[in-house]
Amino acid sequence: MRSVLAIIRKELYIYFTTPIAYVAFMVMAFFAAQFFTGSVDVYRTFVTRMSPYEGEQILEHLNLTDVVVSRLLGSVGVFIVISAPFLSMRLVAEEKRARTFELVMTSPVRPFEIVVGKYLAALAVLLVSIAIVAAFPVLLSFYARGAHGGPAVEWQTVGTGLLGLFLLGAMCMAVGLFVSALSDSVIVAALISLIVLLGLWVVTIFTIGSQGPLRDLATGLSSAEHLGGFLQGRIELKDVVYYLSFVALGLWLTDRALEGQRWA
Amino acid sequence: MIEVTHLTKRFRDRVAVDDLSFTVEKGEVIGFLGPNGAGKSTTMRVLTGFIPASAGTVRVAGFDVFEEPLEVKRRVGYLPEHPPVYPDMTPRAYLAFCAGLKRLARSRVKGEIERVAHLAGIENVIDRVTGTLSKGYLQRVGLAQALLGDPEVLVLDEPTVGLDPLQIREVRELVKSLAGKHTIILSTHILPEVAMTCQKVLVIHAGKLVDFDTLDGLIAKHLPGRKVTLEDIAFLEEIYSKLVSPVGPGLAAALPVAASGGN
Repeated sequence: MRSVLAIIRKELYIYFTTPIAYVAFMVMAFFAAQFFTGSVDVYRTFVTRMSPYEGEQILEHLNLTDVVVSRLLGSVGVFIVISAPFLSMRLVAEEKRARTFELVMTSPVRPFEIVVGKYLAALAVLLVSIAIVAAFPVLLSFYARGAHGGPAVEWQTVGTGLLGLFLLGAMCMAVGLFVSALSDSVIVAALISLIVLLGLWVVTIFTIGSQGPLRDLATGLSSAEHLGGFLQGRIELKDVVYYLSFVALGLWLTDRALEGQRWA
Repeated sequence: MIEVTHLTKRFRDRVAVDDLSFTVEKGEVIGFLGPNGAGKSTTMRVLTGFIPASAGTVRVAGFDVFEEPLEVKRRVGYLPEHPPVYPDMTPRAYLAFCAGLKRLARSRVKGEIERVAHLAGIENVIDRVTGTLSKGYLQRVGLAQALLGDPEVLVLDEPTVGLDPLQIREVRELVKSLAGKHTIILSTHILPEVAMTCQKVLVIHAGKLVDFDTLDGLIAKHLPGRKVTLEDIAFLEEIYSKLVSPVGPGLAAALPVAASGGN
């Protein structure tokens, strides 16, 4: 436990003394802000153009949570997928390049403790990213009112959406950590995990227009499809299992990759 | 303290260490001597559990490096060939991290950092960013890391590389002062260093043990009848060149002493 904490502290120290985490946060803040203002704008135009007679029923069913916040969270997902490889790339690869791997591997630390320490530090950085996104619904709740004067933002739905984003990010970090453990070049690690994660994100486009098992398979594999339920306020077991199995597999494989050094 | 028996390490078809056997008693200081690529660093890496042996066993303090790596790693302080430092950290943060890895009690950490910083002579740079330090300081930060926690065994891979003559003397004094309490293996290709700091010398050439003896034993064996004092270090160069300079492995193997160094 002591050594896990030491590794977490060291990783966070490096994350926050080098620009990489700040760049990731900036990318996240910039694009989230774009999507947020864009969605609010679309919503406003839509509401003002609605005629008072026919629009009444439609407006009853529209709410800011579904139209603005869920759309925002859905769009931000792709930036989590893109930024995670850059946050995870140096976790192990840089240790190998800088030869500090020798220090870590000759310390009285189990490979799994190294994996857990590095992974938890990466999750902490991910949480900051998601907290930046969470600032937008909070902002919205200050200025918006619901249909009958109630709160404009349904916090339960926002909460599940953020949970979904976190699980998506946790999956990306686990995959990135494993790829980083295989390479001793940070660039190669970043590119390979980016290809894998983007591939999983957009896998359904390969089966557009087709039907049957192939399409079902693509939908089942897609990390974007599994986010949908969370954005609509549903926590479904299959989605949770999907993300967590990537996390478990990624961590286990990383542990094996490090342990494999001892057998090489 | 350290028992190496029939250690062999192969990298694909290249044999880096070939059937190496030796024993180091508690409190001894052993000089690892050999030309570049002789297998010094490889042996040290196996000894510290960084890479596995292809064959043979290594035991430190009675624990097999491969079977019980954590027990061994807890007892060994290791300075690798390249100082394993993080350029973005300060030496203080770095040593605190190493103390955590070595599971030192929290209350001890601060005092330990002060102690090893003093021993390695890095007190004046301890709050600077490591990436801006000179090679000599990097080496000393690495050395401080190895001393952290006062481990029973110290494995130092070329500890004086990159240091200026004065610092080299300091490190030698340091190693000498640690002798007796600690078991130390240090590799070098600077011969005076061995004469000044080590009680026993282990000469390794092309992965094979060529000779392992005390300095006096080496003198008696290879320069019989010659009177030498430790200040006169030229004798060591002579012995060393006798042992390793015949580049053909046949010649080295033909030396009568090659077999006698087994234990």
